[in-house]
Amino acid sequence: MYAARNIDLCTKDCLCLFVCPTGATDTENGQIDKNACLDGCRLCVDACPSHAIYLVYTKYPEPKEKNPEVSEKLTALMEKTYNQELMVKTLGESSKNPGEQRLARALEKSLRIVAEDCAREAGYMLPQSIQVQDLLKLLLTNADEEQKLLLEKLLSHYS
Amino acid sequence: MNELKAIPPILTNLAKAAKKQQNTDESQVFLTLADLFSKTAKRDTNLETIEGSLQEKLKTGYPVLQEQAAAIGDQGVLRTLTWGKKVTTIQKSLIHRHRKTGEALLSGQDIYICEACGFIFLGEKSPDICPICKAPSKRFSKVN
Repeated sequence: MYAARNIDLCTKDCLCLFVCPTGATDTENGQIDKNACLDGCRLCVDACPSHAIYLVYTKYPEPKEKNPEVSEKLTALMEKTYNQELMVKTLGESSKNPGEQRLARALEKSLRIVAEDCAREAGYMLPQSIQVQDLLKLLLTNADEEQKLLLEKLLSHYS
Repeated sequence: MNELKAIPPILTNLAKAAKKQQNTDESQVFLTLADLFSKTAKRDTNLETIEGSLQEKLKTGYPVLQEQAAAIGDQGVLRTLTWGKKVTTIQKSLIHRHRKTGEALLSGQDIYICEACGFIFLGEKSPDICPICKAPSKRFSKVN
């Protein structure tokens, strides 16, 4: 676990500098140097008057198992939503009316967010989870060279 | 696992998760993969067909799942369905209004989208708080 700063909340009172034993909080780019940060130390988190510092976990628990039937239906809903996204994309690209093009772009983005939320609740929430690792391995079986390289990179990072 | 037909939304969701975990390199890899697994868009479609497809999801997709999720008490799934149903209703109504009023609907209007739930807002300035998921205004982004 190491500390990270939410720069939107940081009020530059700089109390984190007073308590950090390694100087990890004192950087020019507004971020905390995670290589210098002490695992789980959290002194800066507690000292910050604006609650702008939090701990980023490096290990995550395996998510609560989902009901297979509900998960399957939610996946189907995600697929339908992705299909609709592809439909509005086509429409936007073929349309000559600026208003319709903008509407299509808005719908495309909105539909993607809805589909992502379905994916999350269907069990694809954490990159570290077994379900995601299984998916990456499954994709590997049918991947071209470029895809294979990237999938292997992810699998080795999260294994 | 059944054969999955929609890989990109899973991967872009994981890209967001990786970014929140400060794994920016992995996040980028997920995004690149999402692009590589993207399907080519379909042909022959119009607003009416899309509206019908959204309507069908509202009529059959959401209610059935809501009942099942309630029966097993999965709050997370119920939350997704509540947001999704509301956002889908907005998407459908926007299409419907555009079909009725045409180009006038969006002229002079900015479009904002809530990055947390997909809510679409028409107006001059994004709302202070998302009416669907309660995300703050800084989670809204403007559609060009």
